[in-house]
Parts: sequence; C-alpha cells; structure tokens
Amino acid sequence: MKSIVHRLEIQTHRETELLNITPCVHELVAQSGVKDGTAFVLSLHTTTGITVNEGLPDLEADIAAMLEGLIPERNGYRHARFLPSDGQMAVNAPSHLRGALLGFQVFFPIQDGKMITGSRQTIYLVELDGPQYRSYVVHILGE
Amino acid sequence: MAIDIHTHPVMVKELFAADPQLEESIHRVFGFHFPAQPLEVFLLEMDAAGVERAALLPIDCTTAHGCRIVSNEQAAELAATQPRFIGFASVDPHLKDAPRLLERAVKSLGLRGLKLDPSLQRFDPSSREQAYPLYQACGEMRIPVLLHCGMSWAPSGLAKYAQPLLLEEAVQACPQTNFILAHCGWPWVLEAAMLAIKYPNVHLDTAVLYSGTPQDALRHTLGEQIGLDVVERSLYNKILFGSNYPRVDMRRSVRGLKALGLSAATEQAILGGNARRLLENARPE
Repeated sequence: MKSIVHRLEIQTHRETELLNITPCVHELVAQSGVKDGTAFVLSLHTTTGITVNEGLPDLEADIAAMLEGLIPERNGYRHARFLPSDGQMAVNAPSHLRGALLGFQVFFPIQDGKMITGSRQTIYLVELDGPQYRSYVVHILGE
Repeated sequence: MAIDIHTHPVMVKELFAADPQLEESIHRVFGFHFPAQPLEVFLLEMDAAGVERAALLPIDCTTAHGCRIVSNEQAAELAATQPRFIGFASVDPHLKDAPRLLERAVKSLGLRGLKLDPSLQRFDPSSREQAYPLYQACGEMRIPVLLHCGMSWAPSGLAKYAQPLLLEEAVQACPQTNFILAHCGWPWVLEAAMLAIKYPNVHLDTAVLYSGTPQDALRHTLGEQIGLDVVERSLYNKILFGSNYPRVDMRRSVRGLKALGLSAATEQAILGGNARRLLENARPE
C-alpha cells in the first residue's frame, strides 16, 4: 500500500477567507498513481478550517458571515490573555471557535485513480485569523 | 492614514534566513516563539488593519544580553525595501559612544527615531550619564525617543527600570526631545498620563497588553483609568496608536481603539495624525 504525504503552503490575504484547494487535491491524487484508496486533507492549524461546499462566491460570503454571526468577535472569552509559550497575547478565541465548528479535515474515496466527489463539491481551506502563511496536508493512502 | 508607532520585526522569515542567530535571540531574550512568517504577512496584516505605515522598533541589548533584537542595519534594510515601514534605531546606553552610534544610525542609515527598552536593556532611564546624552541627541536630531514603560513581557525584563516617573527630570531637562511612553506605562497608567498631560514633550502609545483583548485593555486604561473625557480634553493630541505587533495582532488593536467611541477628530489624531506630527517633529499646540 502506498502512503504519500504532501505538505502544502498557501498565503492567505484576509482575516476570514475561503480558499479553493480542490484542483490541487485532484492533481495530487492523479499524480500519485493510487487507483483505489483514500485522500485525506488536513489543516495544520487551529485557527483555520477545512470544509466542503458548493464553489460559489455568494456561498463563500454566506459561510464567512455565518461563522462571524455564530461566533461573535466579543463574548467574554477566557482565551484573552498573554501566552508565555508564544510570547503573544492570545486574543483570537473567535478564530479558534470558528475552526472548531468547521473541523480540520475531510476525506474522499479514490476509485479507478480518481477522487469520488459530488459534482458541486469544492474543498476549501478556510482562513479564520488571517492574513497568514498556512500549511495543510494531503495524505493519499491506497494501492 | 493610520500609523502604527509600535511594531517589532521579530517574525520576519527573511531576516532569520540571513541571520540565524537573530531567531535564537528573539526566543531567548525577547521571549517570542511564534513561527516566522514571510515579510509579506506583515504587510498584509497592515492592509487588513487599515494601517498605512508602521514603525519598526529594534532593541540593542548588547551589554545586558549579548544580542540585538533586530539590528539598526536590519531595520534600515526593511525600511529601504518597503516605504511603508518607518525604521527606528536602538543603541546600547551602556556603551560610552552610544550617542555617536545613534547619530550614525540616523544620518547614515536614515532611521527616524530611537527605541529604548530600559527593562530589557537594564539601564536606569533617569541616569544623567547613560540616558541623558541619548535624549539630548534625539532633541538635536529632531527624532522622537520611544521608551518601553510598564510591565515587560520579555522573560528577563525588569519593571523597576520602566516606571514613568523615572523620566520626569529627563523630560524637564530635555524639552526639545519628544518622549513616547509605550504601553501607557501599565500598570502605572496614571503616572504616565500625568506626565503626558503636564509636559508638551511627553506622549503615550496605545500598545497596552496585560490581559483581555485590545478592546478590553483600551477600554480599561483609556476609558476607565484615564477617562475618555480626559483623553478628549487633555490628551487628544498626545496619544499615538501602537499595537506591539506581533505580540498582539494589529487588526484587533485598531478595532479596539475604534470601539472606544472617541470623537472622530480624536480617533483620527490617535490613529495617525499625532504620530505624523511627531515624526515631522512639530509640537502640539
């Protein structure tokens, strides 16, 4: 069985932003030579999310607005203090909580060398505390 | 146009690539441990915050800790690369030729202010031997001096050197020098505010960070301890926006200031007008 791990990097430009990473994932699966298996997509951060939805700008704006509405910027969060381990003020509780809502990974089956996805399904890395330089992983397992 | 008068270029990957020792010094002495990011992230953070220009503050701790938390040359290099940056200098007050080094940094490297951190550099800011010659040099060269005041988050920073009242005689002795007392001097906020209210050459920056969000901290210090009425009447032209990025993010710092409910004129002055005037070395009326 093959286990192929790709670590990828991406520059985000806004505080909240949905970045379409679908073509990259498809391309890596195609290059892998794996005919039957699974492709996992994981974020390496706790203030980003990975999600799937229809790839339309209006929906991207709605998802961003939903996250900001469900998790308001101010709500008496306890995570608002200096973190000696970072040397930074931890003032991004809303970013963490929005990430917790979205989750940090998705996966798709691979069959006959292609990922099985719905025709409208778009894979997004969601920036929740940008702009930052972010990393995510595509892990392809199979034969 | 917003100006952030208080940032530290301690997370810039390009600097570490050229100077691996710098990263170790930033961890060990400055106590900053977040992974480095490309310089572009700094600029994008400014964009996201609505900040047009940012002062880059180095700290020369050669005698106290055997290192510089970004050198003058590095600050100048970044400022030369990107005109949105305003490079400040730092010199080690323990060195006898510190005023000459400052003059060189200003005249040869084009740096536009002096950053001193008595807590981390471990010097007495009321020392006539070590500190006054630097304050006087700033006045002669018409550049501001920004001093760390109040609690230091650097592991070895000593608060005893950072009490605002230590500066009062120097402020009197060097009336041509513009002093910026960082962090509103927290926890000695009222001492710092008293100096800024009384002396035309004393200013404060808003990089207050001890607990809570920037909005919480600014509401407490400016809104409750000093009072927004006092800010509007007596300090509207004496407070400069500073975030202390990347110890705290610039976006939420700007939002915290805007949430105070200041008058539009005062908010604009704090966000940029007061810094612009100081950098052009004109005194408030």
